Amino acid sequence: MQKKLIELQNQAKDDLAKAKSPDEIERVRTKYLGRKGVINEIIKAIPSLRPEQRSTIGKLANKLKQEISKWIEETREKFVVEERVPGAEEMFDLSLPGKHKPYGHKHPITQTIDEIKGIFSKLGFDIEYGPEVELEYYNFDALNIPPDHPSREDFDTFYLDNKLLLRSQTSTVQIRVMKEKKPPIRMIAPGKVFRPDTVDACHASMFHQIEGLMVDKGVSFSDLKFILTFFSKAYFGQDIKMRFRPSFFPFTEPSAEVDISCSICRGKGCSVCAYSGWVEVLGAGMVDPNVFEAVGYDAEKYAGFAFGLGVERLAMLRYGIDDIRLFFENDMRFLSQF
Amino acid sequence: MKVSYNWLKDYVKHNFSVKELSERLTNVGLVVDTTTPIDKDSCLDIEVTSNRPDCLGFIGIAREVAAVACNELIIPDVDYATISEDVKDITNVTVKDKELCPRYTARIIKNVSMGPSPEWLQKKINTIGLRPVNNIVDITNYVLMESGQPLHAFDFDKLSGKKITVRRALNGEVMVAIDGSKCTLTPDMLVIADSRKPVAIAGLMGGRDTEVSDTTKNILLESAFFEPGNVRRTSRKLGIRTDSSYRFERRVDPECVDWASRRAAKLIQEIAGGEIAEGVIDRNYLKKEKTNVTLRIARLNSLLGIHIEKDLVKDIMERLQFKIISETKTSLKVNVPTFRGDVYREIDLIEEVARIHGYDNIPTKSNIGLKPIQENKFDVVVEKVRNIISGLGFSEVITDSIVGNSQNQHDAIWSDNSSIKIVNPIRQDENLLRKTLVHNLLRVKKHNQNYGIEKTQIYELSKIYLPQKNDKIPEEKECLCILGEEGFLSLKGVVEAIHKHLNIEHKLESTPYRFDLFRPGKSAKLKLGGKVLGYIGELSSGTIKGHDFRSTPCITELNFNLLVDMANLESSFQKIPSFPTMMRDLAIVSDEKITWNDIRGCIESLKIDYVDGIEFFDVYRGKQVEQGKKSIAFRLIFRADDRTLKSEEVDALQEKILENLNKILGVKLRT
Repeated sequence: MQKKLIELQNQAKDDLAKAKSPDEIERVRTKYLGRKGVINEIIKAIPSLRPEQRSTIGKLANKLKQEISKWIEETREKFVVEERVPGAEEMFDLSLPGKHKPYGHKHPITQTIDEIKGIFSKLGFDIEYGPEVELEYYNFDALNIPPDHPSREDFDTFYLDNKLLLRSQTSTVQIRVMKEKKPPIRMIAPGKVFRPDTVDACHASMFHQIEGLMVDKGVSFSDLKFILTFFSKAYFGQDIKMRFRPSFFPFTEPSAEVDISCSICRGKGCSVCAYSGWVEVLGAGMVDPNVFEAVGYDAEKYAGFAFGLGVERLAMLRYGIDDIRLFFENDMRFLSQF
Repeated sequence: MKVSYNWLKDYVKHNFSVKELSERLTNVGLVVDTTTPIDKDSCLDIEVTSNRPDCLGFIGIAREVAAVACNELIIPDVDYATISEDVKDITNVTVKDKELCPRYTARIIKNVSMGPSPEWLQKKINTIGLRPVNNIVDITNYVLMESGQPLHAFDFDKLSGKKITVRRALNGEVMVAIDGSKCTLTPDMLVIADSRKPVAIAGLMGGRDTEVSDTTKNILLESAFFEPGNVRRTSRKLGIRTDSSYRFERRVDPECVDWASRRAAKLIQEIAGGEIAEGVIDRNYLKKEKTNVTLRIARLNSLLGIHIEKDLVKDIMERLQFKIISETKTSLKVNVPTFRGDVYREIDLIEEVARIHGYDNIPTKSNIGLKPIQENKFDVVVEKVRNIISGLGFSEVITDSIVGNSQNQHDAIWSDNSSIKIVNPIRQDENLLRKTLVHNLLRVKKHNQNYGIEKTQIYELSKIYLPQKNDKIPEEKECLCILGEEGFLSLKGVVEAIHKHLNIEHKLESTPYRFDLFRPGKSAKLKLGGKVLGYIGELSSGTIKGHDFRSTPCITELNFNLLVDMANLESSFQKIPSFPTMMRDLAIVSDEKITWNDIRGCIESLKIDYVDGIEFFDVYRGKQVEQGKKSIAFRLIFRADDRTLKSEEVDALQEKILENLNKILGVKLRT
């Protein structure tokens, strides 16, 4: 029996050496290793052997089986290698597109806020948050907005029961922060604001603002100009021009609106800038003494400036988006562009 | 405010081109939105901020130009000849509500000749978009635009009783206005009445019955100061906005009331003939308080960050027609003219100097120095979580906080109380603050499906608003809601990834949770350390059908604040094992009711140090598995810290584990 196995071993080697195609290799495999192959026949016959022989023969047969399998694999591989010589029929198409795994996109508003946060972080501004459901005190009274001011009317502010409202500006946060902390303060407060505007390409009833505030001894309008110029250039590009012009907000005095040269037409005039060459990006000003009084700061000792910007507006200018509604429709074809 | 370039030159001589003038005005805070050429003139459309009603007239604008150009302001002459008959003998004015009408003046002009106004006048008012009517109306409009003070001319002969009463309207009183609209009045509104009925709504519009017409001979000319708030409220209530109401709402100059009246009387005399009765009826209840403000030069310089001398400050003040009453070395005492009601504090004067001196002349520099940023755990966790979710293929959406009722019907996971209502919503059917983000995400999915996008893997990280039983201020809960399209376990994997990445000490537990939105048996409440983190589930077939979805989305909504609280940001490095692991893949057959948790727990209960991991592969039910049973495949990972484990050792441990599984749970190795 042992002898027979050795013979089989040599025979199988020979057969494989003679095989000239994958088909012939397969035939060899069936002959030796198939279910009814030579080696299986031997294994089936083991029970009829003498007990002392059974284990030896079993082991040898299994070993042979493994060896032949190995040779068959080796022979097969040789064929494969030989077949794939250069110039043969198969060519790897390098121009095929790569395979993509889907990745998610942060909302463009989040990206814009993150970028702005990043810029102000460099200047030491903390990030603060405040509630969206507010008291009139924080949204109006403490911000020096008189009781009969039009912005308090119900077509400019959403009211809830219990004398609550949905904040119409993130300026509420500067009051909350000043009430809680002592100067020096440098902070920005991003968040949602709400106004009952009829929704169209330029208006949404919910949008995002970022409020900024810096209070310390000796803070001046000059600092305001510096910080806001630093920010605008960091966000819109170093080559933009800036314009600060007087304006009016109840909670700042003097107040300013900040324009940058139109990034679309580079100041030549286009529909985005209403042919003026300038687009407004920020409202700002020195904190009004009445606001300091409301939060218990000494206006003789401290000075500060505040500013506010519309996140959607900045994103629209940056990306050339012409309809604010796109931000809240959440069409994947829109979101995946950012 | 529309301003004619040529007309403006009547009040200030300057050499600015239209473009230069626009720039100069914009730089002092009067933004010129557009300039439109008309004939040989240009019309400048100027945006006047609400604090500057003085600039709602040509003279006010000219005052600013004069201050900028250092030129003289030219105020027209208002002297005229009168007849001997005194106005007080012709008519009378009674002001019943002195609060709403602190000043009322009336002049009488007799025997006017009605007709079209001269060409020069028509042309001027045409340039700023006003339609010529007749000489009297055109003159009142002209003076309104010139001075910012609204005027009204009544046909005196049509006033019953030949006198004026300024009073509150009676409830339900009706007046037909000049434009033909029928106004029903209420007692909160102020009217000008004759002895029988209202003839004008104070500050808004005159009545049709008493307006001047071709047949008018005698005129009563009204010029008044009406309380701004009341004019605004009445205007809003009646839906009437006029050039007059616009100015009264913002507060007219109390001193200009009489000047404008004289100016109009003089023009009427010049253009329409007529005889001006001697004197004026002037009911003036305004307190004559002088506004004097002290300006410290050092304060001005420190607040603006500039260095300018007192003389320049004085000069600017005077150019703006503020009077310097007295001065010291370091300060000025300034009297503020009545047309500048917005200026009453030092800071207001500082703004005036800054404006006229020019914001451009304030240096852009700073020495604010360094300040370290305060720690902000919330932002750090937000950033981490967003990165994980984005990396796993989910896109962020932002949806409206204001929703309709159908989006807020929700089981009471976050709050039992009803939703917070908006009193003045834009749309009556969208008047609630959201109590969950789930429905908003389903809406986004629906929108995308409508455009042919079948799978929408999205998330929102935003607030929901929960009414509190014992506090009128609602809780604003930051929630993370994720919609997945790759099955329950994939979405659970996302939650687990977040849990792992935030290094949270507590285990993430899930317990069965019955929830209308979800398929029964396939929704769970998620907990961390006994606190509810949120829920997760596969949408029920009903929900899917209701939305017409073509896929089977799963949704999870988590209390993000809890994640922030529990996140451990101080993770430390763990040594990489020096010796390799050995793995054993097993398939076992168990009863349906045995859970993975049971199996895992059973293995863990043996507390074998060398078991380094137990990884689930899959569950199989089918042909090769006995009915009512399932086959569970998993991998055991073995490792020792101090040596490479021997195969025989691992075999023995595996045997021990299987024996225990069999003994405790009755599961068997699959053969």
